[in-house]
Amino acid sequence: MMVRKRSLFSKIAEVFLVVLTIFTHWIVFYFAIITSGKNKAEAGRLDLRLPTEWNFVENYTYVLTYQNGAFLRALKNSVILTVFSILILVLTASATAYILQRRTGLIGKISNKIIIAGLIVPASIVPTYWMLKLLHIAGTLPGLVLVEVATLFPFATMLYKGYIASIPKEIDEAAIIDGCSAEALFARIIFPMIKPITATVVILRSIVVYNDFQNPQYYMSGSRSQTVQLFVYSMKSAWTTDYGHMFAAAILVSMPMILLYLFLNQKILEGMTAGAVKG
Amino acid sequence: MNKKTYPIRMAIPGLLIYLIIFVIPTFASFYFSMTRWNLRTSEFTGLENYVTFFTMTSTKSALKNTAIYASVCCLAKLILGLLLARYVCSGVRSGNYLKILIFFPTLLGNVVTATAFQSILEPNGIVNQVLAVFGIPTVRFLTDKRLALATCCVIDIWQGLGTATIIFIAGLSAIPRDYYEAASIDGARDFQVFRKITLPLMVPSINTVLTLSLIGGIRTYDLIYTLTGGGPGYATEVMGSVVYKLFSRGSYGLATTGNVIIFVIVSVIVFPLNAFVSRWEEQL
Repeated sequence: MMVRKRSLFSKIAEVFLVVLTIFTHWIVFYFAIITSGKNKAEAGRLDLRLPTEWNFVENYTYVLTYQNGAFLRALKNSVILTVFSILILVLTASATAYILQRRTGLIGKISNKIIIAGLIVPASIVPTYWMLKLLHIAGTLPGLVLVEVATLFPFATMLYKGYIASIPKEIDEAAIIDGCSAEALFARIIFPMIKPITATVVILRSIVVYNDFQNPQYYMSGSRSQTVQLFVYSMKSAWTTDYGHMFAAAILVSMPMILLYLFLNQKILEGMTAGAVKG
Repeated sequence: MNKKTYPIRMAIPGLLIYLIIFVIPTFASFYFSMTRWNLRTSEFTGLENYVTFFTMTSTKSALKNTAIYASVCCLAKLILGLLLARYVCSGVRSGNYLKILIFFPTLLGNVVTATAFQSILEPNGIVNQVLAVFGIPTVRFLTDKRLALATCCVIDIWQGLGTATIIFIAGLSAIPRDYYEAASIDGARDFQVFRKITLPLMVPSINTVLTLSLIGGIRTYDLIYTLTGGGPGYATEVMGSVVYKLFSRGSYGLATTGNVIIFVIVSVIVFPLNAFVSRWEEQL
């Protein structure tokens, strides 16, 4: 009797919780999608009614062709930024982690401390900007790529280090005795073995870089190559009451992430926790 | 053997980028925070910037708001995340659905989240349309001084709860089943099980969520900034947005001072907190 009563209660609680998500999440998604297909007057009413005139094609075409395709140019910049940041991050962080994990000397210990501190300490923005200026890459995509790599470097390196620790050193020794060079050993033997962590870093950090607002806002302001997040932000003030076009832009910019999540949600959720639990 | 097998040159590219773009600017910030600086020439002014920074009208609000914002969001994510994770892990049918849905907002950029909530919370937006049905007068969620910060907190929690929940779920599923079975054979009550088994074994994930959300709350500003721009007045001004505003008007030295203060606040809170939590872990 006790058990049945409890299961009835928990069933009601479960239904309540699922219904609650309609109000906390689904209404937001529904509102965004439906508004992106309304004409200016109807979108301006900000209600949940279906549009009387379906304007999806018109609104999305407007965003895509606005200022001769400024959106697509910004999207191209974001894709370049994401791809190169992640590529450089994976190559440098994995190699650094490997060397630091294997070597126990003083340099290794000091580097380790500095990298761990980078997990906590906030980046110094103006001095970073000043450094980019000294290197003549301020306000450029390559400059921003380096900033993203440096920002994500500590976490990725610690993640790799934890994983590489589980690969026995005997493997390295055997390869060296067989006449393998140090670089070839890493590239042909170690790197393929750490693929699971690489997958985690690639998927999760791509999301972070693509969605990043703070770094582009600081380091690309006034530059002609905007990222897509900055584009949507600037359109927010240009289209203040033009909710149809604004939401079309918001959905377009989120599309890559939505698609990624649709296909890889389990992988993303698993990856989220890799290394996180150990702190 | 060691030096030949693991040549330091392989670690150099990563360390070099990190050193030049992160470490050197961090050290340089201590010096530049005490200068009048136009990025080309700097003039040493001692502690003048610190005095200026603390006497600025926005600073007091920013310090207070940052403290409220970081602690409220952090606490809410801890409690709600833990509850949700426990619920999802209790084997309910909707567990996977909840997990996937609640994590989804994490994938949205802050600009997108801000756009959606601004429109929903407009004086003529959906929330107020519903409130009007019940005869409640228009609520200005983001433009009322008393409400704006609370609204920003709720939106931040909406967006960040997924991360906390997922970390807790991983922590919970790592606890061996046998512990619970043994406890139920011994006749332990639900609360006892939670207190004596779940909580102690969850300390590492609690530590992760605590640290991540506290650091995030103190040093990020972009969600709040895209929602309100720091207004109305200084009602939602946080340390990060003060620094950004100083930077964008060209007060580079003063902006760096603000940056160093954030640096100090984060270090003073997070390093001891980590030590405290690991001591707590040993005691439990």
